[in-house]
Amino acid sequence: MSWGRPRNDAVDMFNTYPLNQRAQHGHAHDNFAEGVQRTQQPIVTGTSVLAIKYKDGIMMAADTLASYGSLARFKNIQRLHAVGDTTVIGASGDMSDFQYLQGLLDELVTDEFTAGDGNALAPHEVHEYLARVLYARRSKMNPLWNALLVGGVRDGAPFLGYVDLLGTTYQASTLATGYGAHIALPLLRQAVETREDSLPEDEARRILTESMRVLFYRDARSLNKFQIAKVTAAGVDISEPIVLDTHWSFAEGIRGYGAQTQ
Amino acid sequence: MPDGSFSHPQERQFNPYTENGGTILAIAGADFSVVAGDTRQSEGYSIQTRYAPKVFRLTDRAVLAVNGFAADGNMFVKKVKQRLEWYRHAHAKDMPLRAIARLIQTMLYAQRFFPYYVYNILGGIEEDGTGAVYSFDPVGSYEREACRAAGAAQALVQPFLDNQIYFKNQQAPVGSSHPVHLPLQDVLSIVIDSFTSATERHIEVGDGLEIYVIVAKGRSPQGLESIRNVQELSTNPEGDRVFVIRRELKKD
Amino acid sequence: MTSIGTGYDLSASTYSPDGRIFQVEYANKAVENSGTAIGLRVKDGIVLAVEKIVHSKLLVPDANRRIQSVDKHIGLATSGFQADGRNLASRARDEATSYRDMYRAQSPVKEVVSRLSMYVQAYTLYSSVRPFGVSTIIGGVDSTGPQLFIVEPSGVAYGYFGAAVGKGKQLAKTEIEKLKLAELSTREAVMEAARIIYLVHDDQKEKDFELEMTWIGDETNGLHIPVPKDLHSEAERKAKEALENFE
Repeated sequence: MSWGRPRNDAVDMFNTYPLNQRAQHGHAHDNFAEGVQRTQQPIVTGTSVLAIKYKDGIMMAADTLASYGSLARFKNIQRLHAVGDTTVIGASGDMSDFQYLQGLLDELVTDEFTAGDGNALAPHEVHEYLARVLYARRSKMNPLWNALLVGGVRDGAPFLGYVDLLGTTYQASTLATGYGAHIALPLLRQAVETREDSLPEDEARRILTESMRVLFYRDARSLNKFQIAKVTAAGVDISEPIVLDTHWSFAEGIRGYGAQTQ
Repeated sequence: MPDGSFSHPQERQFNPYTENGGTILAIAGADFSVVAGDTRQSEGYSIQTRYAPKVFRLTDRAVLAVNGFAADGNMFVKKVKQRLEWYRHAHAKDMPLRAIARLIQTMLYAQRFFPYYVYNILGGIEEDGTGAVYSFDPVGSYEREACRAAGAAQALVQPFLDNQIYFKNQQAPVGSSHPVHLPLQDVLSIVIDSFTSATERHIEVGDGLEIYVIVAKGRSPQGLESIRNVQELSTNPEGDRVFVIRRELKKD
Repeated sequence: MTSIGTGYDLSASTYSPDGRIFQVEYANKAVENSGTAIGLRVKDGIVLAVEKIVHSKLLVPDANRRIQSVDKHIGLATSGFQADGRNLASRARDEATSYRDMYRAQSPVKEVVSRLSMYVQAYTLYSSVRPFGVSTIIGGVDSTGPQLFIVEPSGVAYGYFGAAVGKGKQLAKTEIEKLKLAELSTREAVMEAARIIYLVHDDQKEKDFELEMTWIGDETNGLHIPVPKDLHSEAERKAKEALENFE
């Protein structure tokens, strides 16, 4: 019995070290602790994701580029991911962290399926889950380096939510991550806000396509190849990659910044 | 160095916090309490959403406003609500306001060395039927007050409240004294003026306003029911009553 | 029962002098007393069907399912002790999940079967445990096509074109052998499965029963799901017709 004695006999049975030095010498000390590195920065990254509500549900767009710093490393990566039949997530930030999250979500969806009770995860539940995971990781100072959009339709109600590496969450009828939040979001808000319930599909698609075009012109880490996902009562549909033809002849006439100063 | 490298080793650390703007305030009356917050959520110069509530009904006699880092705020409210639910299961009644206040201090101080980056203001009705406001700092220091503003526009709103509620720098007419408590209609006017003014002068304040009013059991809601855009949230109209008033604020 | 009183049947860890493990044989008895379960492996998928005896009218219809999902593409039907069946299904799900975690791909059916059979076999080795009182039919469609297996209480697992376990096993097997399984579609197999379950059900001895049917195939997008209501009732209607003509 060692009542009243704050020590762990299993660690230092013979009192080799005084109590105040026990932590440095006991077996509990992990010799490799200093070798453990946590994510300090993203490595292979995806840029903006855009999403809007429209008449039949929600629509989301992301290009197919995964960059390694300024290098366009992987040009055919899918950043939109279906979660069950009612939800889509779009990821910007670290692609390996995103793939890890895909694994978590796939397991969650499978567990829900094999339970066999007919219940499936709703978009707001997927959003809440991701928020919990990302917030828990930031609280361990070991973040999953992503900004994610979650969109879907359940029981006729559209849902659009954002969650990022800090665990910050919010919902709105137009959302964008990264550069898109600065360049595309004002365009999306102007085109969509107050018209969420009447906006037809082809116009929603056109709004996203034009926003992706603007982003491609302005964001150096973007690509003119992207996918559009739509979620309606009928389910999830992620398009094949769409390639935009773009024109750069106007660039000849630009003066005043960059390499061209004359 | 000129080549872009560093002459000293650089340490960069992940920053687990951010600021999400917005402002909250609360004012206690004799037999009511008012808690309000705008609904804008922002980061830097970007508006993330025009509707993210910062004020939450906890019980029929307690309302909590949280402001600062939104992720911490939402998590904190979630955990407070969970503790209040456990209390209900254990004691078959709602936790009294002053106990909620002490609970919040305990929960905040528990995170003393990795704090919730959140300013809390708790408003409601005490067991003796008086209106009360408790304000907290992020690590749990708290006090009961008559009014408090917090958040991005605290520096704009608090002096205004000091003047209008505490009558600071005001001389009472000769032979009379300042009232101790204001009627509800006056308080609501002050709240709305506070937010329209903060919206004008602070970029992080705006979009929408949610004003929660908690009225003590058996006391008159002082014409509250006929006000524009009001909704009653109380579960028992015989006990303490909770109302919410929603207003638009400028969105620029 | 020559085993009784000899002392060799008290533990699964003891052989009888002629090399048998009576505890395992007793476990098979538990299966023989249970409602029939069958599985058909056909051209483009798998059909599982179970004769679920309803012990009491107080039970909620469709509750206590005896066919469960292991993964999106794998189903499992048990015959024997229901509780043991649920434990095995839970273990099978864990194995399928562990395979996905490790390889980031859907598990082949034979991998789940192999791991599950090792689990069942471990319960035939020790005096402190009782072997599983269930025979399990596992069916699924993986990258190699439709697959069907039975895992027995001994831990032995074989692959089959047609599988039957439980009370009506013999009759069901004779009926399945008459089918041209390689030419049937899953839709046709649903009809046959329903017919066979109705045929093997002995309404003299047993009370009411529910026909439980699931399928996996091209028509279900490779998912293991219950046979849709309209198809189920059509199969049930035809099964009853066939039964009248049979007699």
